[in-house]
Amino acid sequence: MAIIEVKNLKKKYGPPAGGLTAVDNISFEVNEGEVFGILGPNGAGKTTTLEMIEGLKGITSGQAFLDGHDVSKDTRTVKSLIGVQLQSSSFFEGLNLLELLETFGALYNRKVDAMELLREVQLEEKAKSQHKELSGGQKQRFSIAAALVNDPKVLFLDEPTTGLDPQARRNLWELITEINKKGKTVVLTTHYMDEAEILCDRIAVMDHAHIIALDTTQNLLKLPGLSTSIHFLVDKPLDIEQLKAITGVTSVQSEDHTYRLTTDNSEATLSDLFKLSREAGVKLVDLQLHQPTLEDVFLKLTGHGLRD
Amino acid sequence: MFTLWKLTVVAIKMFVRNKQAMYFTFFFPIFLMVVLGLINFDSATKFDVGIVLNAPPSAQTKQFIEGIKQVPVFEIHEGIESEERKALQDDKRAAVFIIPADLIPGPSEIKVLANANEPAESAAAVNIISGMLDKTALTLSGGANHFTVNKEEINSHHLKYIDFLLPGLVALSIMQMTIFTVAFLFVTFKEKGILKRMIATPMRPSTFVLSNVIVRLLITLIQTAIFISIAVIFFNVQIIGSYWLIALIAILGSLMFLGLGFAISGMASTVESVPVFANLIAFPMLFLGGTFFAIESFPTWLMNIAKYLPLTFLSHSMREVMTKGASFAQISTDIWWMIGWAIILVILANWTFSFEEKRQ
Ligand SMILES: Nc1ncnc2c1ncn2[C@@H]1O[C@H](COP(=O)(O)OP(=O)(O)OP(=O)(O)O)[C@@H](O)[C@H]1O
Ligand SMILES: [Mg+2]
Repeated sequence: MAIIEVKNLKKKYGPPAGGLTAVDNISFEVNEGEVFGILGPNGAGKTTTLEMIEGLKGITSGQAFLDGHDVSKDTRTVKSLIGVQLQSSSFFEGLNLLELLETFGALYNRKVDAMELLREVQLEEKAKSQHKELSGGQKQRFSIAAALVNDPKVLFLDEPTTGLDPQARRNLWELITEINKKGKTVVLTTHYMDEAEILCDRIAVMDHAHIIALDTTQNLLKLPGLSTSIHFLVDKPLDIEQLKAITGVTSVQSEDHTYRLTTDNSEATLSDLFKLSREAGVKLVDLQLHQPTLEDVFLKLTGHGLRD
Repeated sequence: MFTLWKLTVVAIKMFVRNKQAMYFTFFFPIFLMVVLGLINFDSATKFDVGIVLNAPPSAQTKQFIEGIKQVPVFEIHEGIESEERKALQDDKRAAVFIIPADLIPGPSEIKVLANANEPAESAAAVNIISGMLDKTALTLSGGANHFTVNKEEINSHHLKYIDFLLPGLVALSIMQMTIFTVAFLFVTFKEKGILKRMIATPMRPSTFVLSNVIVRLLITLIQTAIFISIAVIFFNVQIIGSYWLIALIAILGSLMFLGLGFAISGMASTVESVPVFANLIAFPMLFLGGTFFAIESFPTWLMNIAKYLPLTFLSHSMREVMTKGASFAQISTDIWWMIGWAIILVILANWTFSFEEKRQ
């Protein structure tokens, strides 16, 4: 069931910004309980899209519904149903984490168990600290806690792991997965392919204000034209023509004793390759398989890399 | 209601924990008052003493007056009674002595008009003159009859500099506190994305603004009460007018400057530009708003500008009530002007300040 429906959503920034169209006529749905990712380079329009759905930015044209409520009409209802982590946000100074969460609860007209929330994001020992005393990863975890004070149906996370070290990122991925397991729908944006692959059930790829692909992660990786590459070393040379004849192989490159095959059917290619090497009495050393990544998907779709 | 209550409590906590805000709200004005109060601008090295003769004096009397003129601490003013009484009322005399034309021990009576506002000075003058009379009496009559000194206290209200300063300082502190704490807070919130984070919740922006307004009004009252207490306890300042009226004026002044604070919050896009805007507006008022100097002492053209400044109405009405006990009716012009300014500034604030990012 769709908890978010976006129909022909468009955002044009006013004349001072040169009449820039940041989001151009996009439509998609987010299903209840899934982790939905919006992947795209800087300036693609990810934040703008999220903020229109969150009721923070005016919609130029089109509609967005959250749990059946029109976000531009029932804005306050929508806001009470969602939890928001902004791309960059800080909190009041002079209050400790417990006080901050209680204050946020009050904004929803709720009393909250702030300690329990801090425990959920593993920050209970920082309860009496100020927000500015937290590390980058702790800050992100705290802002997720703040986004959970109203027990939201949908959690929006705008680039939750940007700028974090690998350890802190993994930590946050676990947290997001846990929250999702408790039944909350999560919508996140990211520039990181690995993050999208690990976390997201479905991904919308955004570039220049448009959604250029939307599918499950697995399907995106099976996009026609994407190939797996196989690298290996040999003790004796192999016949290039024979390699080219292997099922699925699309290209062969060789240099000294190193070979690189690309294939659109990795299982078949591998089994044929092993058979060939056994028959030829050639030993394959250091065999490596490179699965296509979302990076490749992106490159394939747009003709340019994610960070150009 | 819960939201408003909680936000108000939070705003109080943030204010109290903000060292800078506390310093400028309480410690600096108190420091200023103590320093300016301790410098005694009023202290004169001589006592002004008035002498009135209602008829041409006898030789003896003349001699006596010459004797008085020799007293080094006296600044003698001779004049007719009505003028000297007036001078006394205006605090230009510590005491006035009305001396009979013919100074005869026994029946003669010197009348002393003592200024109750300068009890030490007038008592000293009376003592010195009594001593001189006693000597005169001794040489004249062998000590049997003394001149009697008939002392009459004149109770004109005396305005020292601290009396003048206190209402102005209260007004100035209200202005500084409201403008700066509001503008710094809201521009910081805007710049750091805190306002945006807040409007991602169902809270109404007006609730947040209201909680901050309530807190500023409370602080205004506390501030005013503290300054008045210090002035009364340590500097002997007398508050003549109604405390209720003082509270009303303080709140009205605070509302006016809250409007200005929010207007500045809307205009300044970075925290660094807050002091620029605030000082551009507040600094001239610091000098022209009647805090340290009476605006009547300015050149006419400057006075014509100064008298319409928001701070001028606040410090003027505050001063009228504190030092002269003015009633509501007597300061109603100031009140109406403050209401007018408050309306203008709130409209301006509404126009410049918004929770949303601009031009969405
Ligand atoms: N308030 C604004 N006024 C004018 N233009 C804006 C505004 N906010 C964003 N833009 C422009 O809209 C486009 C999309 O911005 P958006 O923030 O949605 O991108 P994004 O995909 O979130 O990028 P990033 O990965 O850097 O966060 C950009 O070209 C940006 O410059
Ligand atoms: Mg963004």
